[in-house]
Amino acid sequence: MSATASRRGRATGAGPGRLLVAVYGVLALAATARGLYQVTTKLAEAPLAYVLSLVAGLVYVVATVALATDRRRLAWATVLVEAVGVLVVGTLSLVDVGDFPDETVWSGFGRGYGYVPLVLPFLGVAWLWRTGRARDARGPDRHGGDRALD
Amino acid sequence: MLVPLFWLVVATCAALAAWAGWFVVRDRAVVLRQLWAGAVVEGLLVLQAVVAGILLATGAGDVDGALFWGYVVTQLIVLPIAAAWAFAERTRWSSVVLLVATLTVAFLEYRLLQIWGAA
Repeated sequence: MSATASRRGRATGAGPGRLLVAVYGVLALAATARGLYQVTTKLAEAPLAYVLSLVAGLVYVVATVALATDRRRLAWATVLVEAVGVLVVGTLSLVDVGDFPDETVWSGFGRGYGYVPLVLPFLGVAWLWRTGRARDARGPDRHGGDRALD
Repeated sequence: MLVPLFWLVVATCAALAAWAGWFVVRDRAVVLRQLWAGAVVEGLLVLQAVVAGILLATGAGDVDGALFWGYVVTQLIVLPIAAAWAFAERTRWSSVVLLVATLTVAFLEYRLLQIWGAA
C-alpha cells in the first residue's frame, strides 16, 4: 500500500525521493564541513582546491534543500552543476596535480567518498526527469502517503 | 578512552540499522519505538561528546580540534533529521532513510576514532 501511495505523490522530496534527499544531505554535510575546515585552517596551502571544496559543499546544500522542497528548477541547476563539477574537477585532479594537492569532494571523481559524488547527480537527473514526466501526466499533486505514525 | 563508548555506539547503530533494514524489507514506515532507540543512540553521542570534551580540556587527549568537533557536530545532526523524516514520510522510505542515517552515524563514529588516534 505504501509503495502505491508514494508513487501517487510526485513531489521530488517524497517517496523514493527521500532517499535521494537523505544521501544528498549526508554529502552536503560532509563536503561543507570539510570545506569549512580546510578554508578556515589551511587556506594558503591550496587556495583553489579548498575554496572549490567549500563551494561544492554549498552547492550540495542548495541541491538538498531544492529537492526536499520540490523546487524543480533550482534542483535541476544544482544537480547539473554537480555533474559538470565532478567530471571537470575529477579529470583536472588526475591531469594537473599542482592545483589540487589535497583532496576535495570531487577529486578523482569522488574517490574519497566512495564515488557517491559521481553517481548522485545522475540519479538526481533521472529522478527529476521521472517525477517531471509523471507530474505532466497527472497534474501537480504534492501528497505522499498519509499514514499516521503508529 | 573512547573505545568502550565507541563499541557501544557502533553496536546500537548496527542494531537500529538492522531493525530499520527489516522494516524496509517488510515495506513498513518507521515506528515510534525506533525513534526512542534513535534517541538512545543520540544520548550516547552526547555523552561521548561530553567525555571527549572533558578529556581534551584536562589534556588527556590531543586531537585536531576543528576536525574532531566538525565530525562530532555532523554526527549529532544526522539522527534528528531522520526522525523528522519519519513523521513526514509515512512509507517504507522513512525506514530507508533511518537505515542510511544509522549507517552514516556508525561511519562517522569510525572516523572519530581514527581522528582521535591520529594525533
